Amino acid sequence: MTTALQALPASDRRIIEPPEKGQRMSNALETTKLGKSYGRTWALQDCTLALPAGRVAALVGPNGAGKTTFLHLATGLLQPTAGSVQVFGMTPHERPKEVLPRLGFVAQDHPLYRGLSVADLLTLGRKMNPRWDDALARARMQKLGIPLGRRAGQLSGGQQAQVALVLALAKRPDLLLLDEPLASLDPLARREFLRTLMDAAVETGMTVLLSSHNIGDLERVCDYLIILSAAHVQLAGDITEIVRAHKRLVGPRQDVSGVASVHTIVESSQTARQTTLLVRTNGPLFDPSWAVEEVSLEDIVLAYLGQQTDARRPVSSPAEREHDVEEMEGVQ
Amino acid sequence: MTWVAWRLHRAEGAVVLAVLAVLGAFLLLSGLPMAHSYQQSGLAACLAHATDSTVRGTCGQVGGAFQNQFGYLLPYAAFALLALPVLLGALVGAPLVARELEQRTHLLVWMQSVTRVRWLSVTVGLVLGGGLLAGGVALALMRWWYSPFAQLLGTFRPPAYDFSGPVLPASAVLALALGIAAGALTRRTVLAIFLTLLLVLAIRMPVELFLRPNFAPPVAVTWPIARGDNPPVTVSTHVWEVDSGWIDGQGHQTHGFRCSSPSQTSLQCMQADGYRSYYFTYQPADRFWTFQWTESGIYLGLSALAVGLAFWLVRRRVT
Repeated sequence: MTTALQALPASDRRIIEPPEKGQRMSNALETTKLGKSYGRTWALQDCTLALPAGRVAALVGPNGAGKTTFLHLATGLLQPTAGSVQVFGMTPHERPKEVLPRLGFVAQDHPLYRGLSVADLLTLGRKMNPRWDDALARARMQKLGIPLGRRAGQLSGGQQAQVALVLALAKRPDLLLLDEPLASLDPLARREFLRTLMDAAVETGMTVLLSSHNIGDLERVCDYLIILSAAHVQLAGDITEIVRAHKRLVGPRQDVSGVASVHTIVESSQTARQTTLLVRTNGPLFDPSWAVEEVSLEDIVLAYLGQQTDARRPVSSPAEREHDVEEMEGVQ
Repeated sequence: MTWVAWRLHRAEGAVVLAVLAVLGAFLLLSGLPMAHSYQQSGLAACLAHATDSTVRGTCGQVGGAFQNQFGYLLPYAAFALLALPVLLGALVGAPLVARELEQRTHLLVWMQSVTRVRWLSVTVGLVLGGGLLAGGVALALMRWWYSPFAQLLGTFRPPAYDFSGPVLPASAVLALALGIAAGALTRRTVLAIFLTLLLVLAIRMPVELFLRPNFAPPVAVTWPIARGDNPPVTVSTHVWEVDSGWIDGQGHQTHGFRCSSPSQTSLQCMQADGYRSYYFTYQPADRFWTFQWTESGIYLGLSALAVGLAFWLVRRRVT
């Protein structure tokens, strides 16, 4: 669809839902200027975002972008070097007793005790979790056709991933974090894994955050997106609104400063005669010289991930972006 | 949580039990004939009635025969009892944290509703308790097995000292604690095993060689060289002879002298060189338990430090 002079309704301008005062508890996960360094290298830096409760969110970024660091900070496995992280309003590494029971975590490559039988793993879950739902765990194992007597090490990769997921689900967590859960799975196992996950998410209304280096896997199941690249948050927000706010502008070769003064240019390319921009719109587009096209989520993600090779630009925090929006509204 | 710790370490428990069973079988098979001979040969009766001064004289023949028959077993038992705590530390202690990190199962077990401090407390408690128990069983076995020798040779001298009192279970706890700390520090099982061996040696050797003889100042006896080299006191087999030698003209203790003229007797020679007296230092037998508990206290104190380090690492640093 290509239309010139397309104006966006005002309600669509706010890509980010900033944490509102008095509603902090409605965020399952909140970070403020969160950073983690190893020596001089920052694995994650200046990360400010809020994940509203009840969302199924994708944490997308290339390998080494800091996704695992982010998730480990959220679980309390790591302590931040800078800034803060809060899960349901609590700092995970300071209050593990309160946070851990509400948190489910499936680590990368879904590690299990390979020598333990599935039944033993379920007993481990039962003994270590006050909110453990044994009936749910057993029912899921039966549904998945995973024999309880089998040792974890003898299960297929897909089954191991499923067992790790069921262990996390039977904790009855309010927030479930999954680190690259699909990376080592074949397409069929991926589908079954996501089915188990989404069934549970719909059933319980828990908040889910999955990391992946590939948005394609997650687009169907997620409604919230966080793009992490080069240790920085590039974008965070509701997927529908992200898709609505991003446009591709195609026009004759021209100066883009007019567009840049109002909108955020995410990606630009120029040929001898033509300029193509991918912009995050911050208001209506009035300039008739641009043809406006819709962009797919995958293209948006790729555009943001491509930014990391540019000189690192300062990434505005949600609070700052909110400020931008207010200014915009003031101008109008 | 206790069930979890037990389930994850029961294989190691079974191995330790098997090792104790093998040791027990060895001690039983060799110890029964030994105990029989000890009674039959009259050595037991002799030693029971012997006073300190007559030990060497009266029971010498029988005692010598007994030692000739069974003495060869001592080095084996001594080696096994020195090696067991070290093996426990290297093979059970070192992997305790390191293997979790290596196999990344800490990401599973630390993400349950139990904090990792509690996880470590229960696991370490179980393993150290097991080590203490295993050390206690080994100690009981050894005290029974060694009892004939204990009358004959005493228990204060190495190597008997190491398996005749609380030092044995304490050294098992020490090796385990060092292993656990090494594992948390290196995060690599193999590296942790080597570090454990190194640490155990680095602690136990100086304690045995330098600290233990000086837990209390040794009792010193000196006498003129003219009286000959036999001490003027009766020396029980139960004391620990720490040192002996000559005191030279300057009053220094020495362990040897040169005889400048071959025509002289050694006494004339010593006198000519200005040597004045013999000396002999020892730890009296009644200090045995004080020494055992002192050394055990040192080992347990160091164990507490090592376990504290492991907790700090697991809480703060390890991930």
